[in-house]
Amino acid sequence: MKHLLISFFLLGLGFSQSKVTIQDNEIEINDNEAVVEVLGMVCSMCAFGIGEGFSKTDFIDKSKFTDGVSVDIDAQYVQLGLLDSKNVNPEKIVQVIEDAGYDVNLLFILQNEKLTKLSTDKLGILQPVAFNFTSNNN
Amino acid sequence: MFRKFFALIILFSSISAHPVIFKNGKVFWLTQNPSFNDIRFGVSKTSNWLIGGRLLEDKKTDEAFALINNNFLAKRWNSRNSQANLYLLTSVGLNTKNSEPMGSLGIHGDWENRQIMIMQMLEYYTHNSSIVATSRIAYSPIAVDYSKLSIWLIAHYRVEYKDQKYSNMLIPVVRLFKKNYLFEFGFNGDDSFFSLMTHF
Repeated sequence: MKHLLISFFLLGLGFSQSKVTIQDNEIEINDNEAVVEVLGMVCSMCAFGIGEGFSKTDFIDKSKFTDGVSVDIDAQYVQLGLLDSKNVNPEKIVQVIEDAGYDVNLLFILQNEKLTKLSTDKLGILQPVAFNFTSNNN
Repeated sequence: MFRKFFALIILFSSISAHPVIFKNGKVFWLTQNPSFNDIRFGVSKTSNWLIGGRLLEDKKTDEAFALINNNFLAKRWNSRNSQANLYLLTSVGLNTKNSEPMGSLGIHGDWENRQIMIMQMLEYYTHNSSIVATSRIAYSPIAVDYSKLSIWLIAHYRVEYKDQKYSNMLIPVVRLFKKNYLFEFGFNGDDSFFSLMTHF
């Protein structure tokens, strides 16, 4: 019975996480997280500005990563912890990146077990990309 | 003469780190080179515009200036793994000894990726009608992640045109930066260069 309960618990976790790909890097994303491919983020000072921007928002879960933000300059992405209580508007995430001086290429948000993928078009407008949620699949 | 001067600028022109930073970010910047002691504090009101104060001491004339500094990011090209920028720079203020007005105009361009950086800057100073061109080519042997110390080796070339005379210097500079702190030191046997910058 105990093992059965653990199995159900693990199965539940499985449906609330997935993997996404940014520049050939496979990244694990959990429920209430976002992964953003940031164009132009080439140095630690660039990344610092992005982290500062997110620290002033009301939708970041600061218990995850480092104050809610994980930066990978090599792979050019930031991963964000999102508050469970907030249904985060993707435009708010994009605004923080742009206020730091950078551009968003791809944005993945996993909330309420729904994975959303958006990309910036040639006009710089964020557009949803057809994307079926499958556990542990991109 | 001017043809030679501008040829030098095109070949080498130079600078420092980003003159405009993230929205509402603040920068403190201290630079010392053979011509100037330069202290700046600024606030980026937007991601395109930084305004701040600047204390500039001209070591050759023993004059000091209190200035309001405006840096405008005219255009940024963000790409995968690289970034390029074009800035317009202005300073207006007074000579602290005789209250004579003083200003400077500048244009700054740069391109960088994780391991290579090229920067050029051209400035005009009204108090002595000088034109200063600074150029940098930099290389980082190892691309490190956000939390680690980044080391850059920089060739810093500076040309000054004043009173119909040129002076120039080439200084090898080592840049160290980690997170929001940047430190640079250069020395070529005759001249030295020092810079400290932090964003917060």
